[in-house]
Amino acid sequence: MNSGELKEIIYSVVDEYFVENKIKNKATGETVLFGSESVLDSLGFVNLIVEIENKLKDHDYDIIIASEKAMSRKNSPFRTINTLAEFIEEEIA
Amino acid sequence: MPEPVTNEIMIITGAGKGIGRALAEYFVNKGMLVFGCSRSGSDLLAENYKHFSINVSDEKNVQEMVSTVAKQYGKIDYLLNNAGIASMNHSLLTPGSTVEKIFDVNVLGTFLFSRETAKVMSKNKFGRIINFTTVGVPLQLEGECIYSSSKSAVETMTKIMAKEFAALNITVNAIGPNPVRTDLIKNVPDEKINALLNRQAIKELSSFEDIINVVEFFINRRSRMITGQTIYLGGVS
Repeated sequence: MNSGELKEIIYSVVDEYFVENKIKNKATGETVLFGSESVLDSLGFVNLIVEIENKLKDHDYDIIIASEKAMSRKNSPFRTINTLAEFIEEEIA
Repeated sequence: MPEPVTNEIMIITGAGKGIGRALAEYFVNKGMLVFGCSRSGSDLLAENYKHFSINVSDEKNVQEMVSTVAKQYGKIDYLLNNAGIASMNHSLLTPGSTVEKIFDVNVLGTFLFSRETAKVMSKNKFGRIINFTTVGVPLQLEGECIYSSSKSAVETMTKIMAKEFAALNITVNAIGPNPVRTDLIKNVPDEKINALLNRQAIKELSSFEDIINVVEFFINRRSRMITGQTIYLGGVS
């Protein structure tokens, strides 16, 4: 899976969240997922990670995104869609 | 595996013997598709039963087992976190390694299976998780410091996960059996067991059927409003 396909998965999950929560927005690489500027509430963020993991499973990639490695990084990989995609790409490489 | 009769899928940890083995046999006979696990194998042979020999406190093992079931069947309805170990001993005579082992299986194992299974359950917006605690928690029995402490953690986990998973339509409850004749208590002297029974409202050992009864109550579709609860057997409170 390349970076583009990975981002498409994340975009689709985030856009689904926007639709479900009636938020007029569209996911981009710069969309903030975590922290005070996040477009998601805390439960939305949890569901996003779980949903991405589930979708990756469908593509035969079995990873735990919220790993110790992710949590211990100085710069959180959860900040934006771009940083999350980069992190996941490393994990499945 | 063939198509199950009920199309319901259950995971049981610690299914190799004792209570877990009895639960597995019961739900297999009811036609559920049951996936059990334990460190060792299982002598339960049925078309709708599959056993995994894994360590419940190994994150990778747990992830792989849950993922295998999810990939094949697309859902998991019920999780019975039955795997547990005990070491009855005075705190002053309990090695640190024993504490680690007990917490690994009882707390970490319950946590890992709940987390991974809830991710699958969340896709279908339905799930029932049943954890196993002990009457040793409310009775605060001497000699069971570490075992009961680990189960206190399981009870707290049950209450908090019940809140965290409620929006996903997953209920999380716990059953606290009183003594049942299994390997877990085989080394406990009779006078200790009798002293314990005397502290119960109903002064008898429980049977596997008593446990199955509570599990069936928790997993019932009509129990949708029951979550974060612990039911102790024998009238202990």
